[in-house]
Amino acid sequence: MKDCETIRESIDSWLDGELNPAESELVRAHVSSCSDCSEVRRQLEKLQLALKDELLVEASQIESLLFWREFERRINEKRSWPMELAARCRAFFATPQIAWAVPAVIVLLLAALSLDAVLPWWRFGGGRNNFASVESIDAYGRSVALLRQDETRTTVIWLYEDQEGENEAAEEATKSGPAF
Amino acid sequence: MKPLKKLPSLVLLFSLFLISRVEWMGAAEKNPQSVQVTIRTILASNKNDEFDAKLKEMEQQLKTLKYRSYRFLKEDSKEIAWRGTQSFEIPGGRSLSVVPQEFQNNRIALKIRLTERDKPLLDTTVTVPNKGNYLYLGGPPHEGGNLVLSISAATQ
Repeated sequence: MKDCETIRESIDSWLDGELNPAESELVRAHVSSCSDCSEVRRQLEKLQLALKDELLVEASQIESLLFWREFERRINEKRSWPMELAARCRAFFATPQIAWAVPAVIVLLLAALSLDAVLPWWRFGGGRNNFASVESIDAYGRSVALLRQDETRTTVIWLYEDQEGENEAAEEATKSGPAF
Repeated sequence: MKPLKKLPSLVLLFSLFLISRVEWMGAAEKNPQSVQVTIRTILASNKNDEFDAKLKEMEQQLKTLKYRSYRFLKEDSKEIAWRGTQSFEIPGGRSLSVVPQEFQNNRIALKIRLTERDKPLLDTTVTVPNKGNYLYLGGPPHEGGNLVLSISAATQ
């Protein structure tokens, strides 16, 4: 009888799954062999089931009532456009992904800037900045040509020297000049 | 769930660190101490079809000049302070003086003067990419061909 009293105190916890495996096994073994305790178990289960159904019905009514009231309130609510904009912004920045977007953008920016050090020929805009460029030229009255070729990213200043004072071969070369 | 609650502050701290790093990089770019200017002297001619192996890296660019032969003559590299002047000796009694003027957007502005026996032949102001492509200055006759100077610069 002492056993039955102790076990009956634990049946409720056993049904709720609150006992550890050893206690649970002890209670289960006793209930399956004791008809009185088995009857207590059946009654408790019946009571729990009845309570559960009742609570569920009431809870669902309360939940849906609140939901529909809030729904109606939001439909009828008229917000000014700044409030609407603020709400949209709040919703956008509240998403967890945006928390990662900020450092991700900065990391990409850093990577882009660092490419300059690693790959000197690389630059924003497909290497346009990797051209040497000429700001001003003064050739003291001599002829000068400026070549800029996109394909090879070449910038050349070509100075046509005076024809006097050099040897014949040099003069010949100078006369013809580069054929760019 | 606790680590997730700390996430916004961690992300904010990380962002601040990255921003400070970008700022630091920007500051470093603004204040280079000096410029390493390198001048290579090349002889371009039509005497033969020789292409000097030492000029391999600039082959495509030199060939836009349409000469048949390119011979490496010399290379000279000097560290120059901002607004300081350094002269490079060029074959044929010529000299090239270079003054680094400005560093902006990873480009170096150089004022260049080519002289021949103290007589100025050319004054020019150019900007070259930092540690990037060369500027070619050519034309002075030499040994039956024409000299071509490749000019490059790198901040120190």
